[in-house]
Amino acid sequence: MVLPLRGKVESARAYWAFITPAFLLYLLVFAFPIVLSVILSLSNYNGGKMFGGEPWTIVGFQQFQKLFVDPNFWLALKNNIYIVLISVFGQIPLGFLLAYLIYRKIVRWGEGWQAILYVPAIISVIVLGIMWKMIFASNGLLADMMNSIHHTTFLAGLNHILQVSGGFNITDDFVRQLIAISDPHAVGAFENPVNDLKDLIVSGGYTAQNLDVFRTDMLNLLSPKWTPEFMSQQDVAMIPILFVTLWCWTGMYLILFHANMQKIDNQIIEAARIDGASEMQVLRNVVVPNLSGVIANAAILCIAGSLNTFALIWAMTEGGPMNVTQVLAIYMYQKAFIGAPDFPLANAISLAIVAFSFILIGITLIIEKRFGGRDQ
Amino acid sequence: MKKLALVVGLLALIVAGATAQAKTPLKFLYYIDATQAGYAEDQAFWQKFKDANPDIDLQIEILFSQAYHQKLGAYIAAGQVPDVVYMWPTSRDSSALLHDQKLVKDLKTVLPADFLKNFTAQALNSANQSSKQLSELPQSFTYTTVVYANVGLLKSLGLSVPKTYAELKALVPKLKVKGIQTLLLPDADKWPAQSCLFSTISGRLLGDKFIDDVKAGKAKFTDKGFVDALKFYEQLYKDGVIDKSNVQLGYGDGPGLFASGKAAFIVDGDWRVGAYITDKSTGKALIDPAKQASDFELINFPAIPGEKNKNTASGIAGVGLGISKDLTGAKLEAAKKLVMWYYGKEFQTMKYETGAFIPTRTDVKSDKVEPLTTKLSKFYTTLGASTYVLDGSLDPSVFNPLNDGLQAIGLGASTPADVAATMQKAQDALKK
Amino acid sequence: MMKRFLELLGKGAAYFVIILFTLMTVYPVIWLLVNSFKATPEYMVDKIGLPKEWIVANYQGAWTLGNFDILIGNSVLYTIVSAFGIIFFAILAGFGFAKIKNRATGPIYGSFVLGLLLSITSLMVPLFLEVSQVDKLIGSLFASLGWMKAEDFHLFYNTRIGMILIYIGSGLPMAVYLCTEYIKSIPDSLIEAARIDGAGYFQIFWRIIFPMSVPIATTVAVINVPNIWNEFALINIIVSDTALKSLPLGILRFSGSMSTDYGKQFAALVIGMMPMLLFYFAFQKQITKGVSGGAVKG
Repeated sequence: MVLPLRGKVESARAYWAFITPAFLLYLLVFAFPIVLSVILSLSNYNGGKMFGGEPWTIVGFQQFQKLFVDPNFWLALKNNIYIVLISVFGQIPLGFLLAYLIYRKIVRWGEGWQAILYVPAIISVIVLGIMWKMIFASNGLLADMMNSIHHTTFLAGLNHILQVSGGFNITDDFVRQLIAISDPHAVGAFENPVNDLKDLIVSGGYTAQNLDVFRTDMLNLLSPKWTPEFMSQQDVAMIPILFVTLWCWTGMYLILFHANMQKIDNQIIEAARIDGASEMQVLRNVVVPNLSGVIANAAILCIAGSLNTFALIWAMTEGGPMNVTQVLAIYMYQKAFIGAPDFPLANAISLAIVAFSFILIGITLIIEKRFGGRDQ
Repeated sequence: MKKLALVVGLLALIVAGATAQAKTPLKFLYYIDATQAGYAEDQAFWQKFKDANPDIDLQIEILFSQAYHQKLGAYIAAGQVPDVVYMWPTSRDSSALLHDQKLVKDLKTVLPADFLKNFTAQALNSANQSSKQLSELPQSFTYTTVVYANVGLLKSLGLSVPKTYAELKALVPKLKVKGIQTLLLPDADKWPAQSCLFSTISGRLLGDKFIDDVKAGKAKFTDKGFVDALKFYEQLYKDGVIDKSNVQLGYGDGPGLFASGKAAFIVDGDWRVGAYITDKSTGKALIDPAKQASDFELINFPAIPGEKNKNTASGIAGVGLGISKDLTGAKLEAAKKLVMWYYGKEFQTMKYETGAFIPTRTDVKSDKVEPLTTKLSKFYTTLGASTYVLDGSLDPSVFNPLNDGLQAIGLGASTPADVAATMQKAQDALKK
Repeated sequence: MMKRFLELLGKGAAYFVIILFTLMTVYPVIWLLVNSFKATPEYMVDKIGLPKEWIVANYQGAWTLGNFDILIGNSVLYTIVSAFGIIFFAILAGFGFAKIKNRATGPIYGSFVLGLLLSITSLMVPLFLEVSQVDKLIGSLFASLGWMKAEDFHLFYNTRIGMILIYIGSGLPMAVYLCTEYIKSIPDSLIEAARIDGAGYFQIFWRIIFPMSVPIATTVAVINVPNIWNEFALINIIVSDTALKSLPLGILRFSGSMSTDYGKQFAALVIGMMPMLLFYFAFQKQITKGVSGGAVKG
């Protein structure tokens, strides 16, 4: 690999000329920020000019102490770990499964499916985040769909009651049956549900002739309603985000695994099939071992990516409501850029993210060394 | 040497990219909703300014709602206050530091007197601003609580506009039967419940003196009166006047829902008139002018049981532009030019005609406004006194827990007593 | 018989899974497209059906209000210049690392590989502070020379060139790694022959290495073009001037909780995703290859 040296000086000069631009930019964007981050996380620097502005000094590990007792930090970390888990144990297995279906030609038009499933990965997560936000919103598409299911059920129930009671015949019993299929919240608005509701119906001017009006009015008043209250509770509020995370990047792993499966010697698989191995056995004994290195790499890619989730959640929830969808990167951003800035703390969070990625990647590498690559 | 050439080339590129204008650079942080009617006209006016002033390199950064407050907070933190900045007259969010640290100039010392004489006395009153100087020139006087009523919808159901809370509450089941919400208050962004409703409740039940007393340590948020005000707010949800789903509704969702007849009323600031009138970029209006005239009214929030102050609404000197205290010489002149352009008769008339607000500039008149804007001017004349907007008179560390608390009360996740206690704790912490 | 039945069942399940996934991918996008033609009040009442009246004005409105011509222009500039920068600097460095012996290669190349594991998002706060301080330092230098006021100088903060340099830097670890490994596979004999003909290193780079690196350059490009085009976190803090913003920033400003007009919001989202969709369908083969090639790392 070594060129015949005409002169050491010439070669060294060329070498540095070639690598310096890239190296300088690398230092600018990766190396210096890390160094700066370490320094600032130990300091009391609070904005302004770093040199010649207000003096600031190194004060020690206060920020980390502050961080480790901050419940928001642990909440953000927990949410981040959810994202890591859904990525490693959701995106990768699903991507693998889909790739396998296509690779083994278990489904036809493999290339076509693959092309479509990759689409989310190519579109800006800002666009996708806003789109899903509208879908999951309290008055969004999902709510509409769920409500139309509720409405159908309620109407069916109402029709049944009408039939059983032999037409439009308002008795206490009728009202009780009606209450039984109604939204408890809606019923709770009445002090004395059976009487009040009966009064309301009787005084409403409904007759057997305009039952349709009666039906729609009851539907509006009493039908159970889908409200995404879960979106404001800890843990469960992450579900939409986890879903979109899975939705967005599974296609990328599909492509990655599919491309690498095609490198497997097809004869081995055909031979195994002729020997009577099932698809599952082929998957377990041939394909997975052959791809163990790729799977480990994918896991590393996944972990690094998911600890840094920012834009998607920023577009979907901004970490809200009431911080329940907070993740580390957003927490860091808020500490640095929202309200009174706390740059030392933000830098401590930044280092925590870097440290966690290295720890998790280290674990992945150890697991891969121990269990992976049997056939290689 | 090729390497040298490369380095020189790179340097030249950097310098060319970064500097090399003799123009006066002017950074302007501005605030406008890009989807609202009047945005295109507004941009056209700024373009006109740029064309007329080739010596000024105007860099406008346009943001809206939370994004603006976040960014301004970051600028202040980094010691980079924009040269000209759109700001609030009081301690709302990011504007607090601009006032506290006097980071902007007193406009009375900057703008010529014969220019300032065109504005109402209320606008020029320095006492309205928390820095007690004219940090910004209020472009309007803003009422933060206005009830927009779909009278046409009420009429079609044989219902009438409520004068008291009991009448409002009585509408709930009648509207609900038709699948219509009574009062919309989209509060996912947290500030609307406080700015657009609770401030008026507190003003009606307690008055401004109570807030002053709390700040002076002579009263407490945990006093019965304030807790009762929070309880009344809680009652709105319990009575179904405000549907629980509002807590998760984005501020931007309100107008669309209201205009589509999904609710009979919406409580919002007077600035929101602009959302309903014709948007010149699409030629569409959320509520078309004929309907505005026939079916919609602006009313005050109905009488609250036990209210001390009748017919009041929360209001505050409006937002406006401020000039960074660091400016001198050519930059200051450029900034003055920009500010006087913005507050000029032409620009303000356009703002009036596009329904953005009713200007404090006294010589602005127009017959080209849509019915809802006319109705807003009329609404002003029916109002009693204005009371504090709480995020304008309390410290952010106190009104932020209030904002959070109002949301939590709506969700049923917190109680009035708890919210009051949290606020008092924050208020006490300020003293230390 | 049983076996055949099981096989059919398996096939059925396989089709079910893949069709479900495809539907979940396609339906939201189509839903977005359809609703971009609705008026806001109609959307509020009906989110599932087709528009009663197809309102093209949503697009007109979104386009003019959103300044999409400027945003798309900026995005194109950032993406193309940065991608070319990444490719050029990475091949340059790859040549150095792969074919010129130097003791510095171990640590420096190693640091690039380590950089593969770092995400720029986690470093956005220190990066922001770093570049704003660099601006201030150079600014004070110029100020002391009397050229300009210190705070008026910006090399990185709120400039196109600064944003591009940062994008190039952030794409380099992956690109340098890919290019170095690729250039290693170029036979030494080719280079030796050129050396014997008296060519210098730069001539070798231009005549041999650069032309032969086109395949890896394509891979680097298809990885980086969508990344830079869609990048949000960094440009959000580095650029403030509306005239310098990119598409994702513009879309976020346009949409979100504060915007009132759904029709225009949907239209803006469609405008926001169209360029990358077109790019994808035009270069689908290369992108697929690039993704699988780029994701495999040492």
